[in-house]
Amino acid sequence: MSPNQPRVLLADDEADIRTNLAGLLTRSGFDVVVVEDGRAALDMFEAGGVDVAVLDVVMPEVDGREVVRRLRRTGTWTPVLLLTQVGESAERAMAIEEGADDYLNKPFDPHELVARLRALLRRASGGAPDLARARGVVSGRLRLDRAARRAYLDGVELALTPKASTLLDYLAVRPDELLTRERLLEAVWGWDNPVGTRAVDHRIAELRKALGDDSGKPTWIETVAGLGYRFVGDVSVER
Amino acid sequence: MRRAALPAALVAAGALGVIALWGQRDRRWYVEASPPLVVAIVGLVAAGLVLAQRWQRARTARRDQQQLRERDAHARAARTRLMARLDHELKNPVQAIRAGVANARSNPGDVDGDQALASIDEQARRLARLVADLRKLGELESAPIENDRVDPAEIVHEVAAATADLPDSDRREMRVLTPEIPWRVGEIVGDRDLIFLAVMNLVANAVKFSPPGATIEVRALEEDRHAVIEVADTGIGIPDDEIDLVWEELARGAAARAVPGSGIGLALVRTIVDRHGGSVFVRSRVGQGTVVRLRFPLAVV
Repeated sequence: MSPNQPRVLLADDEADIRTNLAGLLTRSGFDVVVVEDGRAALDMFEAGGVDVAVLDVVMPEVDGREVVRRLRRTGTWTPVLLLTQVGESAERAMAIEEGADDYLNKPFDPHELVARLRALLRRASGGAPDLARARGVVSGRLRLDRAARRAYLDGVELALTPKASTLLDYLAVRPDELLTRERLLEAVWGWDNPVGTRAVDHRIAELRKALGDDSGKPTWIETVAGLGYRFVGDVSVER
Repeated sequence: MRRAALPAALVAAGALGVIALWGQRDRRWYVEASPPLVVAIVGLVAAGLVLAQRWQRARTARRDQQQLRERDAHARAARTRLMARLDHELKNPVQAIRAGVANARSNPGDVDGDQALASIDEQARRLARLVADLRKLGELESAPIENDRVDPAEIVHEVAAATADLPDSDRREMRVLTPEIPWRVGEIVGDRDLIFLAVMNLVANAVKFSPPGATIEVRALEEDRHAVIEVADTGIGIPDDEIDLVWEELARGAAARAVPGSGIGLALVRTIVDRHGGSVFVRSRVGQGTVVRLRFPLAVV
């Protein structure tokens, strides 16, 4: 266990999932601690040294969601990735009050979990302001009131469809991150929504029109050819 | 009760008339005593009406019950078919995974073992896709849908343009028909992305189930205060005995089994149209082609 190996806490009540994911995470350079329920997860947090956690939502006694709530209530801001339940739209799961930092829906590609954990650790160690938990953010002439899901350009509220405003929020609090169409689709439309990635392009077009953003010389939303989109504006927490 | 009062009074009057007749055998008196006879006839007719009404009511009740039983039997049969298809869709990947595991155990680390792992991975993905497809259907049935104004003509033009991305579409002739005389097709209220998805699914099916050189026509028209979107093809067609099953989950016709697909597309289309208060129809002739018709209520202007 070298000191630069980040410690990941993995909580899932299914032994086969624990064992196999732990093996993969270990080989991917993590120091892995496994527990089988939420109470044990809380104990591990108390013991300290956890850099990032993967919690299944459905666990006996204390479920994953409750673990996150208790952690945040006691001021522990360790990044948490929740493995969510069937029938939940990502939009609801990603509500900012929830307190988790990222979400995956079973069954997921195990390598995707590794990538997401690395991204969470990068974000946590970057010392960047924590946009995902901010009530409001500003990027130049654009201001987002995240709690009310409203966007203002030069102080004038933009008329956006609900999907477009959720999409803008999701992009704006992840500046400089390449977000694939698939990722945006699952985050904003939900994992189980059948519409294709074209729906994402449609809403991006709506946003650009509302913002007057030129796709050739973007102030805010950049197209990454063949992959997805990136928010290129400087973003800061609104005071 | 009130409705029964008049027939009941007439029946009583008729009965009195019959009793009066019973006592008088004299023919002349019979004719002269015509008022009671008229009363008797009216009474008999009324009694007949009452009986007919009661019989009619009993028959309707029986028919309703019969319909209910038929619908029940229909739902049970559909469920049985779905379970059989699920069994089929699940058992093959699971069987392949078990075979793969046995193979990998007996050949750890060598080429056969690697191949076994690759096939286990592929089968697990196949199961994940099935789960995802079924969840999409479930989500669609319950999740709230948007209330955009959707222009059917715009949708069909956009679908036709997007067809170029489908494999093999370059060897089909695409036509778009959106009559604008004397007016453009009216708008639908609903989820633009979902309606696009429904029409796109139909066109993808038309491409899949037609030979190179076939013609596919996408139409948006107005009819009886409804917007109609049709996708027609000169493809292989659907046999009569399969046509009622095409909208069911995981349904795959005999000819479709050779073509890759999830069997979830048309069930998805049907659910999308249902959620918009519309209806679906399909007409087909084997060897000539298929027309699928989606009918949506027009937005109130």
